[in-house]
Amino acid sequence: MPDERRPDERRVVVTGVGLLTAVGAGREASWQALLAGTNGIRPITLIDPSDLPAKVAGEVPEFDLTQYLDRKEARRMDRFTHLAVVAAGEAIEQSGLDVRAEGDEIGCMIGAGIGGMSTLEEEFKVLFEKGPSRISPFLVPMFIPDMAAGQVSIRFGARGPNFNTVSACASGADALGTALETIKRGDAIAMIAGGAEASVTRMSVAAFAASRALSRNDDPETASRPFDAGRDGFVLGEGAGILILEEREHAVRRGAPILAEFASYGQSADAFHVTQPSENGEGAARAMNIALRKAGITASDIDYVNAHGTSTPLNDKFETLSIKTVFGEAAYSIPVSSTKSMVGHTLGAAGGVEAAVCVLSLRDQRIHGTHHLVTPDPDCDLDYVPNESRELPLTYVMSNSLGFGGHNSSLIFKRAEG
Amino acid sequence: MARVVLTGIGLITPVGNDVATTWAALVAGKSGIGPITHFDTSAYECPIAGEVRGLDPASVVEAKLLRRLDQSSIFAIAGAQGAIADAGLDMPRENGKRVGVVLGTGMGAAHLLVDQQRVLDEKGPRRVSPFLTSHMLPDTATGLIAIAIGARGPNFAISAACATGGAATGEAAEIIASGRADVMITGGYEAPLTPVYYAGFHAMRALAVAEDPTKAVRPFDADRSGFILGEGAGIMVLESLEHAQARGARIYAEWLGAATSNDAYDMVAAAEDGHGVAQAMREAMAEAHLQPGDIDYINAHGTGTALNDRAETTAIREVFGADADRLMVSSTKPIIGHMMGAAGAVEAAIAALSCYHGVVPPTINYHTPDPDCDLDYVPNVARTAPVRRAMSTSVGLGGHNSAIIFGRWDQ
Repeated sequence: MPDERRPDERRVVVTGVGLLTAVGAGREASWQALLAGTNGIRPITLIDPSDLPAKVAGEVPEFDLTQYLDRKEARRMDRFTHLAVVAAGEAIEQSGLDVRAEGDEIGCMIGAGIGGMSTLEEEFKVLFEKGPSRISPFLVPMFIPDMAAGQVSIRFGARGPNFNTVSACASGADALGTALETIKRGDAIAMIAGGAEASVTRMSVAAFAASRALSRNDDPETASRPFDAGRDGFVLGEGAGILILEEREHAVRRGAPILAEFASYGQSADAFHVTQPSENGEGAARAMNIALRKAGITASDIDYVNAHGTSTPLNDKFETLSIKTVFGEAAYSIPVSSTKSMVGHTLGAAGGVEAAVCVLSLRDQRIHGTHHLVTPDPDCDLDYVPNESRELPLTYVMSNSLGFGGHNSSLIFKRAEG
Repeated sequence: MARVVLTGIGLITPVGNDVATTWAALVAGKSGIGPITHFDTSAYECPIAGEVRGLDPASVVEAKLLRRLDQSSIFAIAGAQGAIADAGLDMPRENGKRVGVVLGTGMGAAHLLVDQQRVLDEKGPRRVSPFLTSHMLPDTATGLIAIAIGARGPNFAISAACATGGAATGEAAEIIASGRADVMITGGYEAPLTPVYYAGFHAMRALAVAEDPTKAVRPFDADRSGFILGEGAGIMVLESLEHAQARGARIYAEWLGAATSNDAYDMVAAAEDGHGVAQAMREAMAEAHLQPGDIDYINAHGTGTALNDRAETTAIREVFGADADRLMVSSTKPIIGHMMGAAGAVEAAIAALSCYHGVVPPTINYHTPDPDCDLDYVPNVARTAPVRRAMSTSVGLGGHNSAIIFGRWDQ
């Protein structure tokens, strides 16, 4: 029977979380490490950093691909797709969703800011050194940024709506938001959604350093320090954060674990500058206000903000301003923390990783702190939950992502009922 | 749900850099495939492609910005300028917060990356351009266009391999339908003609070979041998009907429905039975509340590979049943090439234009029927026929599919 409910009558819940970060190759490992304040920033090992301008990053510890992919399949995928497949597998297992059985109604949207960067770099080397006839036939299907969504759907049998969204560092958040809207308008009963990025490559380090976005600090203990007066740029991280979003009645009917409700998604563009935030963080504030309006709540209902908090001088200052614009005086009493202080900036994965953190915060009624925050900055004067996790009652939490190009996305999650 | 209409089209294709020139070549069946001139092709047996000609980048963006931009971004911006002018959209009079940009690209900034990789390898990491990161991303063009026109609404890029343009256009339409914006600049763009990508496709053995480039791509013909890369952009202005009527805009067609799906089968090959693209067609028709008899024309993906054209024909037969025999189905890829992430958007615009003009562009180079491909492919000559509703379908690496439907605007 056709479902004739309006989009605002369909509610969407989160029934599974998969998470790979620099502090843990799995959901519970990552989450417990974040609560414990573990630092995932370490000297780079995936590539030789000796001539590179940055020498530390957040690399994901060794993870087991073999339960999802055989060796031959794995060789034909870039590392960002590996991260996506493993995170999606973990999320699907937790949800207990039989993806293959209902595959026509289950879609997949996984954001990646770049795609298979290391594959491309290897093939450039082949092209320059050995000539075009030696280029791999798998270059194109390994590099293109939609391949995480493509391969996850192939691996798990999700035949519904499928693409990847790219909006730089907001890619993961926009994939989740677009997946939410897809369920609300009745085009799917569940979506595998989030972000994945394998950003630790020579070109990526060189290019982000050239744009003066990366920290020049080689000390892993202080390089990523969002909101601290001594911050001087972000630290690259890799990872994946994937959620199973499900139409609420479908989840209830099959007795699925409901970890949180996905209340709303707000999106805006600064239309201002390619790398700098708009004045007073106007664009980011607008995304937050749209999300609040769509959730049918006011700023005072938000109990925690997981900030974009990259640790660049500009981002943290303007994000603080935008939070003040939205929350007014109440801004000073809302805890705001940055996951990037421990796992680095996972670029297109960040929105997925941080949404996963928000869902786990609601589940456990605990939030992690902003680490390496030692010297207060007068421009950043909110409660950043410095250096310690905190237990508190949480009903609504917000995750913000802001990207190069002036993309802003804000997601609101709500504590599961009952 | 708001009704959504198409009011502006900007096309940068191998047969023209605006909508009128491109449409005229499509109807005349004049192919834009020719020898590759963008890079040294001495290593290849049959180096042909659909290259954009006569587009002066200096007329698109100012010199300072031009130096930082990838070729793909130039196509996107030129397409957007064309679409906005075609729509007669006066941005200073619009509420920027209600105007968004959602574009698609399958691969992003290939040219810029190759150049900078050379710098990295030859001169070291400290010489890499500070503008690389912000200008190499698949969402760079969406950001640049938003900045140029003051579009502060929903803004991101979509990537789904060769189904990118269809997926992006469909998502933009859904954003207007659900009330999140009044106007969306949408579509797809691609600049795949760089040595590394060309070599990658060549290594996949998917490219067609022919003495006469204009005859290389032969969709649905028994002797078809593969596809040929094309480059360019297809950018559209979609808006809510209310908004279009309030400003007295010319309406090309009404957007009726769209869907995406995945075969969940293989990362390179499409499913033999076309079940994924069939599902996208069915769901787009369900959203539009249409029956098979309501569609008159399909602008097919029709790449000209043995597998694609057979699977697509099977899918159309499965979805349309007896109505498949009265459908007009054509592939415009022999004329404009396979424009990758731009293909779905350019072809969606062509589907809409067929409703507007009552003319269906032909499948050229069609001579020998294939028993597995037995539909009416509008062979070789354009057909004048009323088109009430037209669908564009796309199928991509990674198993992605998209379908989008436009309807004739009669009021």
